[in-house]
Amino acid sequence: MDAIFDDFSQAQKQCDGNLLSQTLSPALSNEELRAIWRTCNAYDVKSVVKRGLQTSEIGKKGAIPKEELQCWTELYAAYWKSAGELLASSQASWTKVYEDWKEVLSILIRGYMSCGFESWTIPCLFVTGKYLREFAIKADAERGSSLDNAAEPNFQDDFDPEAQKNHCLEDCARQLNRVFNLCLSDRAPLESSRKWGIYHVANLLFKTYFKLNSASLSKNILKALSAGRGDMPPLEAFPKSQQVTFKYYEGVLRFLEEDYVQAEKFLTEAWSMCHNNALKNKELILTYLVPCHLLTTHTLPSKKLLEPYPRLQKLFLPLSQHIRKGELHQFDIALQENEDELVKRRIYLTLERGRDIALRNLLRKVFVAGGFEPPKTEGDKPVRRTRVPVAEFAAAISLGSQETLDNDEVECLLANMIYKNLMKGYIARERGIVVLSKSGAFPGTGV
Amino acid sequence: MASAATKDDKAPASNSKPEAVTEQKPAAALEEDDEFEDFPVDDWAAEDTEAANGSEGTQHLWEESWDDDDTSDDFSNQLREELKKVEASKKR
Repeated sequence: MDAIFDDFSQAQKQCDGNLLSQTLSPALSNEELRAIWRTCNAYDVKSVVKRGLQTSEIGKKGAIPKEELQCWTELYAAYWKSAGELLASSQASWTKVYEDWKEVLSILIRGYMSCGFESWTIPCLFVTGKYLREFAIKADAERGSSLDNAAEPNFQDDFDPEAQKNHCLEDCARQLNRVFNLCLSDRAPLESSRKWGIYHVANLLFKTYFKLNSASLSKNILKALSAGRGDMPPLEAFPKSQQVTFKYYEGVLRFLEEDYVQAEKFLTEAWSMCHNNALKNKELILTYLVPCHLLTTHTLPSKKLLEPYPRLQKLFLPLSQHIRKGELHQFDIALQENEDELVKRRIYLTLERGRDIALRNLLRKVFVAGGFEPPKTEGDKPVRRTRVPVAEFAAAISLGSQETLDNDEVECLLANMIYKNLMKGYIARERGIVVLSKSGAFPGTGV
Repeated sequence: MASAATKDDKAPASNSKPEAVTEQKPAAALEEDDEFEDFPVDDWAAEDTEAANGSEGTQHLWEESWDDDDTSDDFSNQLREELKKVEASKKR
């Protein structure tokens, strides 16, 4: 514990929030935890902590108001209790750890609300919040596995396995929301405001909501942020780690709402600002950025782009290849083969829309294969044959799949292409031909 | 957790700070934990970003979705064959 008091004193003297937050980190070895645990017992912990803080360098100066010091005392006493629970966690339960750690966070929140904790100390909130979430996940997993083993079935009518499954994490989301509001509602001038903690906490909440499979709850966070944006520091003023994480989640949220233009914007910003060495995070950004690009600009990732990510290569390269070549049938097969993985990553439906591009490319090949009209007068610029029988398109479509489509079905596909502006022209039904535009039959593809 | 820094080949060695170590999880862990990771450092210089280290600008990373270089003769032959088949099956 003495090391903690020394660091506390040092941090208070220099207003070093990161150093201070380290004194509250539970990520210690068992030896370190045991050392803390052994300094006192449940009866004298508060007096030991109080004496420790009072006799530390900063305490002797009397620089910390009495009320605030009292709150720090309670905080470290609760931390001591958690350390003991963590030591026991191999035999005891993570739920207990979670509950004890929640108490640490509650005291901390009280410190800000009514004991005058200063805003430079907010990294303490980050550390405490981060581990509250980790303990909640462990507690839920532990209970989940013991539920599976339970011999007695639960016959209660209102038994909801989903709610049970994430009991702690849902509670954790509520606690983090308190922290979010604690930061958001600070009225102090910006330079000493807890608003500097807002994006860090928002990111923690996003992660939690995504884990809970209720990503949509994140929208409340975005709303609260945009409502308060006027008197908040701009996002650009925050560390890049927070900016990148925030933009990633904002991008994925837009993606899930099928607002691909906005999604692409945020994800591209996250991508370019991301730390060059953060491979895993870059892979996650690309997982959503690639489908965005396919739908917004009809572009595909190059081999070079996916080179460092074998998993993305497996997901995207075959699909890209089939899209590029207009191989409809193989595209469908590739999509099916990876269905589970793609659904889990929430990109299946988006990629499925890439079929339009594959079809566009196939129809385009028919058009290109049609060649040119004989020039009317010598020296005219050659004009492509723009009247293409529907039967040719039908033949091309059935080429790969070996199954024949009705002409009606083919016309329907063609009409859709025209409607989506992937192809320009009209269908002359009675003559069974498609009349394509002489200037750009397939917009954006050079023909 | 891998402790070795994974350095991008293209990045000059001076750019990679020692503390900027990428935490790589074993592939097996991906199933469960597919979560945006905490960065090992809070903030970094512009020259450590992807934008600064990505290969020669973003243009080359995205390619057109269509492809002209295949032999369209091949395709048109195939297409003619298929067309004959389609015609034949209709007459039957």
